[in-house]
Amino acid sequence: MKKVILIADDSPTIRKFITISLKMNGFDILSASDGMEALELLPKKKIDLVITDLNMPNVDGFELIKTIRENSEYKEVPIIILSSLDRKEDIQRGLSYGADSYLIKPFNQKVVLYEISKYIN
Amino acid sequence: MKNPRNMTELFSKLNDLKSIFVYGQKIIPVIQSLIDFMKDTVPLLENINKSIDESTKKIPTAKDQLHNVSSATEMATTEILDRVDEIYEDLNASQQIINEISEKYSAKKDAYEKLKEHLKGDKKAFELLNELMKNGISEQLETLTTKINDIQDKTYHITLSLQVQDITSQQLEAVHHLIESVQYRLSSLITDLEDTEFNELEKSYKSKEITFDADASYEHEKENQKVADNLFGGKQVENASQSEIDKLFSGAK
Repeated sequence: MKKVILIADDSPTIRKFITISLKMNGFDILSASDGMEALELLPKKKIDLVITDLNMPNVDGFELIKTIRENSEYKEVPIIILSSLDRKEDIQRGLSYGADSYLIKPFNQKVVLYEISKYIN
Repeated sequence: MKNPRNMTELFSKLNDLKSIFVYGQKIIPVIQSLIDFMKDTVPLLENINKSIDESTKKIPTAKDQLHNVSSATEMATTEILDRVDEIYEDLNASQQIINEISEKYSAKKDAYEKLKEHLKGDKKAFELLNELMKNGISEQLETLTTKINDIQDKTYHITLSLQVQDITSQQLEAVHHLIESVQYRLSSLITDLEDTEFNELEKSYKSKEITFDADASYEHEKENQKVADNLFGGKQVENASQSEIDKLFSGAK
């Protein structure tokens, strides 16, 4: 059975780019344009990993991570932050909210895949 | 005059009045120049007001143009990514065909080897068979596979470069937000703007939820990625080998 990855990013091009690279490597993708949509998609399938941006409308990435970590059903799901925010305080905040990895945009597809491989194989 | 004291007081008051007139005469030019100044200034202020009004009216066009640029690049990038996706699928299909040809050729090769054993006594048939074997396609198939990998690699680099669209759209969004806040401030300066118009503007300024990173930049090697790696367990992600990534590919498929 294919592993399912949920992507939350308000940029359609980034969503498309990640979808292409992950689909090519055998993953099933669920795509959300903000944190709110991602939270709505969470119960729809068994999610193996979440990739999230931080700056998003409605519910931002930090709030999304916090909500996932507070939910007993999803709290173990690995979360990778993929953001252009590269200040140390943002990285620390991401860590404190419970993310597992932090990648700064623009990103290398191979690095994303390598990070994913740490959590699902 | 019955009372000389009254007369003295009268003269005193007249003197005071005279002083006031003298003072008035002195102040009149000052008042005149003040009026002249006001006459000059009022049209100037009206001009300023008018020009703020005109500038404020032009701002939505500037905002729209920025938005159009952002939308156009987003659409173009998505179209390119769609084509890239199709190319990837075609390449995968081609690779599958090559693999099938390769498997069939391997099976044929095995059959040839067996046939060779049987035809050892028949020199003519043995030579013909060797001739057939000589025109193998293994090398060409390998070259094709290498070419496909090259195209995949180049296509991958195209998609990587397309991330610039996301970064520039964030920068444009930051400029858009800046223009909007300038518009809001300018509009609040215009005194003759109708209340409803101003309220609409205020409402639209406050209701829009825009997300962007004003400092977003298109640099491939971010210094702070090392900070992130260290904070998140000290893993140097750039050390990931291709074989490690390939293992992930096979595991997920």
